[in-house]
Amino acid sequence: MKKLLMLILAALFLMPLAATTAAAAGGAGPDKDMLKGLITQVDEANRTFTFVRDSDSKVFTFTFGAKMEAKDLPLGKKVMINLDKKAGEGVAKSVDRMFLDMSLKTVIALMVIGLIGGLLSGFIGSGGAFVLTPAMMSLGVPGAVAVASNMCHKFPKALVGAYKRYKYGQADIKLGLVMAATAIVGVQIGIQIQKAILHAWGNAGSNLYVSVVFVAVLVLVGGYVFRDAQKLAKKKDATGHEISPLAAAMQKIQLPPMMHFKTANVRISAWVTVPVGLLTGMLAATIAVGGFIGVPGMIYVVGASAVVASATELVIAFVMGFWGSVQWGLAGLIDIRLTLLILSTSLIGVQLGALGTTYVKDYVIKIVMGSVMLIVAVSRGAKIPGYLADLGWQAELTPQTAALLEAVSFWALVAALATAGIIISAAMFKGMMSHRAEEQRTLAAARE
Amino acid sequence: MTTFDKNMAAVAFAEAGDHQTAKEMLGGKNSNANKVPEAAPKPYLKTLVLGAISLSAYVLLFKNEAWVMETFTKGGIYTLFPVLAAFFFSFVHGPFGSDLLRCLGLEAKKK
Repeated sequence: MKKLLMLILAALFLMPLAATTAAAAGGAGPDKDMLKGLITQVDEANRTFTFVRDSDSKVFTFTFGAKMEAKDLPLGKKVMINLDKKAGEGVAKSVDRMFLDMSLKTVIALMVIGLIGGLLSGFIGSGGAFVLTPAMMSLGVPGAVAVASNMCHKFPKALVGAYKRYKYGQADIKLGLVMAATAIVGVQIGIQIQKAILHAWGNAGSNLYVSVVFVAVLVLVGGYVFRDAQKLAKKKDATGHEISPLAAAMQKIQLPPMMHFKTANVRISAWVTVPVGLLTGMLAATIAVGGFIGVPGMIYVVGASAVVASATELVIAFVMGFWGSVQWGLAGLIDIRLTLLILSTSLIGVQLGALGTTYVKDYVIKIVMGSVMLIVAVSRGAKIPGYLADLGWQAELTPQTAALLEAVSFWALVAALATAGIIISAAMFKGMMSHRAEEQRTLAAARE
Repeated sequence: MTTFDKNMAAVAFAEAGDHQTAKEMLGGKNSNANKVPEAAPKPYLKTLVLGAISLSAYVLLFKNEAWVMETFTKGGIYTLFPVLAAFFFSFVHGPFGSDLLRCLGLEAKKK
């Protein structure tokens, strides 16, 4: 409990520091050209509408964007307006309703996604974000609100997961906090890169960059993790964990300050953790799943076991998620209903995933991680041709090709989730059954 | 040690939170050796209470949806609302989830 408090205090301490850096960097959160408020009047004949800004009740009159129609403008509902600076002063590029009406279907969909996302997070230390944000967007939530609400659901889930796995003796709080400190710096670097690309090539360039990074990281890291897991699975005594040659070499570097991480059972120079933390943060700022670098980084560079690495990632996720939520909250973009509906099942899923790790061998975690990463790579890869066409670097896609690629992308994501859900449940069930049988035998022996 | 002394010493240990030592002093060190280990009782009541609190909080939230959405999205100092709500739910709904899993017989493997 003491350590949990320490963790919360550390996050609270890191937050203003990070917020200051973020402010200096221009902010991690929402776009500055975006306005929030209510549409009070629509003048269809002149193609203009009256808008009252939330923050100061200032009244604006904006012109319809090129493809905009009066029916796209919801009267009296909270909206987000993006202005098209290129089209002239006061021209709206897009108008999105900020907060959707909840239907039973939406509620159930959110709860199902939350459960699987939570299960994955508890088991491999990360994995909710890459599916939750697109899933929410497909339900009609605007991108910024989806990212904000997801971020706000991430930190309590990570907190509960980290605490649970800390109790199982798996989470290395010290390693997590050291990594989180550098990860926050990494997030800032990631944002700067994003901004530079957005400035140079616009939205399509940014989308392409995100997808290319996604696919490259997932194929490289996922492939490596998967191969490693297969090798381990072939060995009969694959109960424990072997330190990778790279981690062994890193542990030999005697560059002060040397740090001892008790749970991870590693003594390593603090400098080795810096690049791993930085890259985790950069990836988090780019594709929202820092854990895809953080967990393998802790395994193969620092030398922690997969169990400890995936548990420690939850500590990092908590610190980063908490800080991110405050950023998005300040902009008023968190839809707490979405956050809490996802939390209702993901808090159960994350604990189920966490206890699942106690029944499986180390390589099973790696198999799940590797498979999910490779399938998600397919999902993102299918998006690349579309972005290339948007940039004019490739011929326009035919509607059939575009629809096919969209379907591939969507179903690959569903397949990734289903695969993970099935592997985790099956491994857990098998582990529990054999453990129960063993307990029965001990009980019978004790009675005799 | 007399029985009285032993009992008082055990009480002292129990009060200090060291139940194991207290039990050993009262029951003798080996008295439990032949006992069949018992499974910990399932936390049905706690699960129900936490579940009720959590469910009430959800109902309260959605009953006052309009006010909540208005207040929670004001930004600035109002950021505390969504962040604290997320903390509140993780401290109530999280333990509820944990106990629910225990009631369902899903527990971590004991090493």
